Amino acid sequence: MSETRLRPPLRGKELVLAILRWILIIFFAVYTLFPLLWLLSSSLKTNFEFLTKSPFALPAVPQWQNYTNALSVAGLGRMLLNSVIVGLVATLVNVIIASMGAYCISRFRFRGRESIYTLFTAGILVPLSALMVPYFVIINKLGLYNTYGGMILLYCAIGIPMSTFLIRGLMDSIPMELEEAAYIDGCGFYGRFFHIILPLSRTGIVTAATFQFLTCWNEFIFANLIVSSEKLRTIQVGIRYFTNQFSTDYVSMYAAIVISIVPSIIGYVLFQEQIIAGMTSGAVKG
Amino acid sequence: MKPTSSDRRALAAFMAPAIAVMVIFFIIPILYVLVVSCLKWNGISAPQVVGLENFVKLLKNSTFQRSLKNNIIWALVAGFIQVPLAMVMAIILSRKPKGWKFFRTVYFFPQVISGIALATLWRAIYNAEHGMLNGLLSAIGLGSLTTDWLGNSGTAFPAVLIYWVFYVGYYMVIMMADITTIDTSYYEAATIDGATDFQQAIYITIPLIKKTSLLTCVTLASVMGLRQFEQVYMLTNGGPNHRTSTMVLYMYERLQSESYGLASATAVILIIVGVIFIITIRTLFNGRGETVKPKKARRAVK
Repeated sequence: MSETRLRPPLRGKELVLAILRWILIIFFAVYTLFPLLWLLSSSLKTNFEFLTKSPFALPAVPQWQNYTNALSVAGLGRMLLNSVIVGLVATLVNVIIASMGAYCISRFRFRGRESIYTLFTAGILVPLSALMVPYFVIINKLGLYNTYGGMILLYCAIGIPMSTFLIRGLMDSIPMELEEAAYIDGCGFYGRFFHIILPLSRTGIVTAATFQFLTCWNEFIFANLIVSSEKLRTIQVGIRYFTNQFSTDYVSMYAAIVISIVPSIIGYVLFQEQIIAGMTSGAVKG
Repeated sequence: MKPTSSDRRALAAFMAPAIAVMVIFFIIPILYVLVVSCLKWNGISAPQVVGLENFVKLLKNSTFQRSLKNNIIWALVAGFIQVPLAMVMAIILSRKPKGWKFFRTVYFFPQVISGIALATLWRAIYNAEHGMLNGLLSAIGLGSLTTDWLGNSGTAFPAVLIYWVFYVGYYMVIMMADITTIDTSYYEAATIDGATDFQQAIYITIPLIKKTSLLTCVTLASVMGLRQFEQVYMLTNGGPNHRTSTMVLYMYERLQSESYGLASATAVILIIVGVIFIITIRTLFNGRGETVKPKKARRAVK
């Protein structure tokens, strides 16, 4: 493991293993990247090029107008905006509720605390898609079918167990003495929460928020279920309709898919640590 | 800290929204599917109690049988092919070969791209006339193998299933986080004793992650396999001839046709199969079925 370890020159079996190792490393990288590059390259071709030339040929002249086409025909701008609105509001409300809950669970001993925490953890385990029917009914009963409110409420709610779990983890690591000292100095419940615990839990909250936003951004099943109006479609639901809208205009369709993927990739590169932390902590989901 | 009396009210106010969410969106829905699974109900007219009839209907229905079978195959492939592949890559990358951070970033891409976008991309790849796969096969002289991957009943399900298997980033990162916490002195001692990298992986790394991150990943992957929806919905919509249907897709279709009872019964079966998988995998990994808490995967390696 240590990098300073002296390696004798490789031979025989070791050499075979080293070669095998690199074959695997490169195979998986190519497997992931190549389709994405193919998509990007196809999105810059003309339809004629795409249909008649080799799929691996690069575009002769990059056709940037495919992207303007995609934006105008599919109403991608509107969809991106919808996704941003729903994602941001749901994330904001989600982390506020989760921080408040996490604070209580993390800092106080009260009756029912353990059962409440168990309830949250169990919530992470529930296969949400199995609850499609009741969610559909609840959103309808609340009169929120086909509204931003419905999506925001549902997204905010389904992320609560995970966000509470992530934020609580960080709050647990803040020394109790800090808060006790503030308490003795006469700092009340809200003061301690807003001035001491919340600022110190920043990293946990950012992780939860990043994870929550990505979940909202990529969510499809429920968005597809509780929204039918074209005006409210999120980008993921929109993708489903691209295929019809661009029935023969393949290259513009590919441009539309690229546009829908790019924000996720940029977000990932910017918030890599938070996203990986959020997703791997979620591994308790087992 | 023990809440003081003035804290109590604030505490209740702080806890209330989260608890309300848990009750409305988790507890009630689960009770709801349990109750409605025993009803014949279209959501409008008066529900009729039919006991276990919905379950009998489902188990006799050939599309449901196919969906259940597909999900089980999916869960097994994910748990016992995808995760072992991820483990191999986790072992390789945790030795920090040149560029490992780059590769870790790349392998994780499919995890941040939405399932629906990936499925659309693969639909284009599998396309019979101008897809990349057929293009690749023709280019390397295997033109005779080209086919309509998603339209052909023999190849549709394997095609839907296989592309996902090589996206190992998620499980790999979880296991890498675990591997980096293993005491390096084990490896140093093994190296002095002349153990090869391969032997070290077999005799040190794998046994040490088996009951922690490996168990977690196999469980996670299997459960994910049982929940598949976006892939099939976007790639084939269950076709051709329901060959690629899954339980969640079946549930979705029942909901669309307003058979709330059947849809809820499907949900109940989905949850039960999930629990069976989780218990079986735990038992397999722990020998005697005692429950070992999976170690929380730590924050990812820097």
